Amino acid sequence: MTERFSEGTGTSVIGGAERRTSRSLASLFLPIAGIGAVLALVPLWLGDSRVLMGVAVLGLAYACYTIGFNLIFGSTGQLFLCVGALAGIGGYGSAILAETVGLPIPMAVLLATLAAGLIGGLLSWIAVRRSLGVIFTGVVTLIFALAFENLLLGLTDLTGGDGGFLIGAGSESFLRRQIPPYYLMLTLALGFLVIHGLLRRSHIGWAFRALRDDELAAELAGVDVARYRVYAAVVGSAMLGMAGGLYALTEGRISPTTFGFAQVDVVVLVMLAFGGIGTLFGPILGAVAFTVIDELLIDLGQLRVLVYGALILMLFLWIPRGVIPTIAGLIRRRGPSG
Amino acid sequence: MTANILDGIVLGLQFGLLAAGLTLVYGLGGVLNLAYGQMAVVSAMVVLFSMDADVPALPAIGLGVLAGGLSGLILDLTVLRPVYRLWGEARVLLSLLLTLGVAFVVDGFLNWQYPQAGLTLRIGGGPVEILGVPMRAGSLVASAVTLLAMAALLVFFRATTLGRAVRSVIEDQEGARLVGIDPHRMLRLILILSGVLAALVAVTRSMVAPVTVTAGFGLTVNALIVTVVGGLGSVPGALLAGILLGIINTIAASYIGTFLSLIILLTAAALTILIRPSGLLGVSE
Repeated sequence: MTERFSEGTGTSVIGGAERRTSRSLASLFLPIAGIGAVLALVPLWLGDSRVLMGVAVLGLAYACYTIGFNLIFGSTGQLFLCVGALAGIGGYGSAILAETVGLPIPMAVLLATLAAGLIGGLLSWIAVRRSLGVIFTGVVTLIFALAFENLLLGLTDLTGGDGGFLIGAGSESFLRRQIPPYYLMLTLALGFLVIHGLLRRSHIGWAFRALRDDELAAELAGVDVARYRVYAAVVGSAMLGMAGGLYALTEGRISPTTFGFAQVDVVVLVMLAFGGIGTLFGPILGAVAFTVIDELLIDLGQLRVLVYGALILMLFLWIPRGVIPTIAGLIRRRGPSG
Repeated sequence: MTANILDGIVLGLQFGLLAAGLTLVYGLGGVLNLAYGQMAVVSAMVVLFSMDADVPALPAIGLGVLAGGLSGLILDLTVLRPVYRLWGEARVLLSLLLTLGVAFVVDGFLNWQYPQAGLTLRIGGGPVEILGVPMRAGSLVASAVTLLAMAALLVFFRATTLGRAVRSVIEDQEGARLVGIDPHRMLRLILILSGVLAALVAVTRSMVAPVTVTAGFGLTVNALIVTVVGGLGSVPGALLAGILLGIINTIAASYIGTFLSLIILLTAAALTILIRPSGLLGVSE
């Protein structure tokens, strides 16, 4: 079985861009600060509209999800199809702890984040232990996501079932005003980018690249593949949980569709693939691009799904590696400094 | 108890046949077809529209099966072309993303044009007693057709030259090429066959419950889980896993209640994968 798959990898979908990492921290922080500065201007433009600010906050929440998923899938090749479920653990966890149990909000978010990180780590540990490949990891995590969705629907006393519930906690705080949630989610997204950027630069990043490019060679060179996979899953899942928790609290209500497979996982996968799997800035580019496209197409109704499908097809037929690796490749070919 | 097991077997047979198509395409070509459920839905819609246009039921079903096979051929000739240039996990991943795009296009189009459409085939006649249990005529015809299709599939792979050629490609692509079998032609054949299987499942399913335009994604997920539990690339494994999961699902649903039954089904599937990562009848590597 494995033999015929080893005839060279060709142009991998998992992009190999941004291989050359320069050591200076300025080259990491300057682009992140630039992205932050541009996105910080958005409320000046949309700040009057409650609806559009809501869309922008959701877009940033998706950017956070995509960064977390990128750390797990793009950096260490674990196809986690439970992004929505892990974000939902953060979301429902924070909401229930703050609302039903009555913990202070920061405490509730912290505990829910921890829970998401631990569960993500556990899934990864199981996958690594049983040495499941991409597809098997995908199916096991997909099964986990479906089971979680059914739990949300079934445990009506705790979760409100199909309709979800309103979160009273924090309704008097800045979390429910029009502009501050945007800056909260933006800070979160930029913070996640910094964490991922720093991880890529550390020895952990070298291990990530080594095990993604050639797992066997990495193992032989003494990289503890299993350990780094679980690390990445813990950190990435905690990111998902925290983003889900904070988004739920700013939104003020949650339901299973807030974190559904079709609403989160599929969208996040497309955003990441659009931006470039395994690149640092791909997630934010993909999230911004798809949020804008989604808003432009809002009047199309059901036809929107068709347009999405067509976009996905065009994207992967023309630039299968994603936007950032493709542009990086063009610049490298043309640029004099090489 | 007996009634539940029989119901479970009917459902499981359909799961199994559905998974067989998915598992063959994956085992043979390393292509994961996420538009698989949509192939079934398209076939169901063709049957529905033909019958609306006063085509008698049997020819309409024939047209549906034809549409299923044709959709497999179209996939092979169009979106899957770039996939064939890749190998290994990159190939699986690109095939998954492209067919996801196809699934969106099909779902979006059908929901936009025919949001209310659903196929229900009514089989006449009252309940029939099996082992002292009354079964609906529709369920019986559905299981009979499914069993026939399964038997035909197994005979095809065991006893015909073409079937053996396909199996040889699943086992060793290079070896098959050396003895003069063209893996690409076999893959095209199997994609067409998987479309036919999807159409048969759509038709038999509609004898028990309506097949709606939104059913595609759920069908794909079911097929995927059954495929993995049965062992990737193993047709008998898919059939066995389908029947087992169908029985577990039905028994859990009647004794425990709906939402926990799904969780039990999913847990059973996850445990099988974890205990035997190669699946029930899969080949360990």
